[in-house]
Amino acid sequence: MNRRLLWFLLVIVAALALAVVIVPAWVIQPFRPQSPGGLEISFVLKRIAPFVTIAALLAGVALVVTLWRGARWGRVFLVILLLPPAFSAWFARQNHFEWMFNPLANAGYTRADAATFVGDGDLVMAVARNGEAVAYPVRQLAYHHLVQDTVGRVPIVVTY
Amino acid sequence: MWETTIDGRTLHFHLAGINNQNFIMRDEETGSWWQQVTGEAILGPLKGRRLTRVPQDEISFALWKREQPMGRVLRPDPRAAAAGRYAPVDWEAGIAKLPIATRVRDRRLDLRELVVGVTVNGRAKAYRMTDVQQQNPIIDTVGGVPLVIVVAEDGKSVRAFSRRVDGKAVDLFATAPATGLVDSATGSGWDFSGRAIHGPLAGRQLDRIEVLRDYWFDWRSYHPDTAIYSAGLVRQRS
Repeated sequence: MNRRLLWFLLVIVAALALAVVIVPAWVIQPFRPQSPGGLEISFVLKRIAPFVTIAALLAGVALVVTLWRGARWGRVFLVILLLPPAFSAWFARQNHFEWMFNPLANAGYTRADAATFVGDGDLVMAVARNGEAVAYPVRQLAYHHLVQDTVGRVPIVVTY
Repeated sequence: MWETTIDGRTLHFHLAGINNQNFIMRDEETGSWWQQVTGEAILGPLKGRRLTRVPQDEISFALWKREQPMGRVLRPDPRAAAAGRYAPVDWEAGIAKLPIATRVRDRRLDLRELVVGVTVNGRAKAYRMTDVQQQNPIIDTVGGVPLVIVVAEDGKSVRAFSRRVDGKAVDLFATAPATGLVDSATGSGWDFSGRAIHGPLAGRQLDRIEVLRDYWFDWRSYHPDTAIYSAGLVRQRS
């Protein structure tokens, strides 16, 4: 097969793999307005990214193996062109929003009179259900953004 | 705050993104995307479904502790605290300096103005926090329901109640000193939990109406038809 065509395919595969993860990350970045259409595209890309990026990585590896013989200095570029699909396959399995805002894995609670870490004037989100009352300090919520809990036997998500 | 059970299945949520500065969460079970402020699935298999709202009550810790001495409080995560991830005490001043990304162009109020939002019978109305604090209490009618908006002694905790007692609207006024409310019909005294603490109506409880503390641009973004309370215009119909 035409080596030029294979090189071209490899470049396309690398660009596509990158686009699948970069486009949604770009669209849903903070401090930038989002449109319904942009969100829909991001949603679809995020859903297919884990599969598409693995397929791209496999295709990339196959192309590099095919081109390896006979490519002397070109081997450096072959390796470089494998990096985008490899990065994308990894990134598609990450939640970068949880890098910025770590989820609260094991939420702990303290009795109201022993909670020295909240100031009297600090705001809390309060909930009371079936005789059980819980306060979620806003300064903590503003970082974690969501906390899951069961209050009065009702599972809830506290959002901020 | 939302109940997480839908169709008998309990969902588990993760932060998944941001939509015009209001976050999106994704559930592990179906992968649907949910808008935090509305509790509605905007994309995915559950698109169009809504979570059941848990009434929101955003008040000062001192007030909450007085009302719920047996309650429990979320503890800071040691790792997040050690890394300095939690907001400082004056964090709202810092937020005010952040850029705003929004499609909202409605400049009747400053985009970053803090408002108290109320939705009754599908009618939304925003009250500037400064008006709420200065006029405490505000008496108004939204969606046909007579309501009162009250600020607690701490100056920041805000609650709203229906002013209907036995099917009739009562007017409520601040007592002097401003530690509670008094109604015009019977002279009974009412506290910040909406309960009559003395007078002929002692023991009666006003129905709570949920309020949301929010920035104007965010409130306007999710309540495009919202009215705005005009300070000084008493009993303005909406």
